[in-house]
Amino acid sequence: MPDNIILSIEDLSISYSGEPAVRRVTLPIYEKKITAIIGPSGCGKSTLLRSLNRMNDFIHGVTQTGRIDFQNADLYAQDTDPVEVRLRIGMVFQRPNPFPKSIHRNIAWAPGINGMAGSVDERVEKTLRQAALWEEVKDRLHDNALNLSGGQQQRLCIARVLAMEPEIILMDEPCSALDPMSTARIEDLLFELKENYTIVIVTHNMQQAARVSDFTAFLENGLLVEYGDTDQVFTRPANMRTEEYVTGRFG
Amino acid sequence: MNRRQNLARRHRKSQLFKWCCISVTGFAVLVLVLLLWQVTVIGLPWLDFQFLSSFPSRFPEKAGIMSALAGTLWLVALTAVFAIPVGVLSAVYLEEYTKPTRLREIININIANLAGVPSIVYGILGLAIFVRFMALERSLVAGALTMSLLILPVIIIAAKEAIRAVPSSLRQAAFALGATRWQVVRAHVLPAASPGILTGLILALSRAIGETAPLIMIGALTYVAFVPDGPMDEFTALSIQIFNWTTRPQEAFHELASAAIIVLLAVLLLMNSLAVYIRHRSSSR
Ligand SMILES: Nc1ncnc2c1ncn2[C@@H]1O[C@H](COP(=O)(O)OP(=O)(O)OP(=O)(O)O)[C@@H](O)[C@H]1O
Ligand SMILES: [Mg+2]
Repeated sequence: MPDNIILSIEDLSISYSGEPAVRRVTLPIYEKKITAIIGPSGCGKSTLLRSLNRMNDFIHGVTQTGRIDFQNADLYAQDTDPVEVRLRIGMVFQRPNPFPKSIHRNIAWAPGINGMAGSVDERVEKTLRQAALWEEVKDRLHDNALNLSGGQQQRLCIARVLAMEPEIILMDEPCSALDPMSTARIEDLLFELKENYTIVIVTHNMQQAARVSDFTAFLENGLLVEYGDTDQVFTRPANMRTEEYVTGRFG
Repeated sequence: MNRRQNLARRHRKSQLFKWCCISVTGFAVLVLVLLLWQVTVIGLPWLDFQFLSSFPSRFPEKAGIMSALAGTLWLVALTAVFAIPVGVLSAVYLEEYTKPTRLREIININIANLAGVPSIVYGILGLAIFVRFMALERSLVAGALTMSLLILPVIIIAAKEAIRAVPSSLRQAAFALGATRWQVVRAHVLPAASPGILTGLILALSRAIGETAPLIMIGALTYVAFVPDGPMDEFTALSIQIFNWTTRPQEAFHELASAAIIVLLAVLLLMNSLAVYIRHRSSSR
């Protein structure tokens, strides 16, 4: 099976008001695979991830050089519509950020404004099931989402993205607020989603990266230290720093 | 032990501060209650249907506030129509569409300064621009436009604050789902900011109801024996009527002023209740 590169990051540098956060990163993202980005806190993982669906556009003072190609089209070209980019590349944030509206509305809103076909209620149920949240909330779909626990909120945010059926899902530590049970279910979900979606996941959990991902990128200080097959990165890392990090001897 | 003494002292301080707050608040409320009490005692006997449905008169027992009340209601409604869209949309533009540049800072500072300009200055501006230059004469429209100028800075500042208080994570969530700027503003920012915006609107419109100086400046009448039936009509307002009555020598007119103040307060209260109702409805959805 040929591996298609859906996102190609080339020589990407990003800085905040002149302070570099990502330095000359070159990285392929393969279609329908899970790519994990690991690295110590503050190394630029979130920054890199946000550049992939143009969420850095909203941060004042961000400058970026290099190139990102999404299915062979420049993601940052003049005529690329960032709204369309975000329709096709969804994102789950590091901190759960549900809308202060009902659970139902949280999921139904975006498909609604985009005029997606099909039954809204079915879509809500399907995505909540996928995100392993349905059983807990099925009797209170019209309650305010802010009344959910942190972990439930995060799963709602995942469901919300799934409802948009994007091609790529970017996840920034989606499990950092979850208990082991929900984490396991999210990981199951990731395997399921891999059939149809490309996933890029930032995680601090080495076991998780090793368990779920096909490819792993290790970032340190904004630099890409190592990238490769997850098995290889975790068992036979080429770089000493990588080995130290994945075995937990630093970071 | 030292620690316990220290803790006891901190508790005492905390208590002391609490009682400071209570007494200051209590004093303010007391003054307000006394004021209201006095106004009510003096004004209430005059407050009847005849008072509400009569025009001003040289004879206190025949005088009423029909034209002034109608004028005030017209004025507030027209001012709301002019000032609310302009104010709220300006705030949305400044907060959501502009980048934090030097120019934006300068604009913000100027708006804040405008909020502190004495109302009589707006009256002069209104006289020059609306009454004379635009030839709107002493009409309700001229009055409402002048009032709009006066309260726009207040509305913009309050709306900006309310919009800024909406967490950016909310905007990011919506943008990341492929929403356009307008969809984000419409579906998430404005609803989240609406309680704050509404409070600002009510404060601003309350100010418009109470203002007298700019209306006198643009030449609103003090004796009007008709109810305005269109925005181009001449008018008077409750604040002017009250001012007028308090300047008369006869005691009876002072009592009439108190009665008119009660009506003015009732209008304010009504507006506030409306705001509370709208807020309640939008938050329970
Ligand atoms: N909005 C911002 N403005 C200025 N600097 C920022 C901003 N966001 C991030 N940075 C800086 O950029 C660097 C990379 O931050 P980033 O959030 O990408 O790290 P991270 O790898 O995701 O860390 P963590 O694992 O703690 O989430 C950090 O030094 C951070 O301080
Ligand atoms: Mg991060």
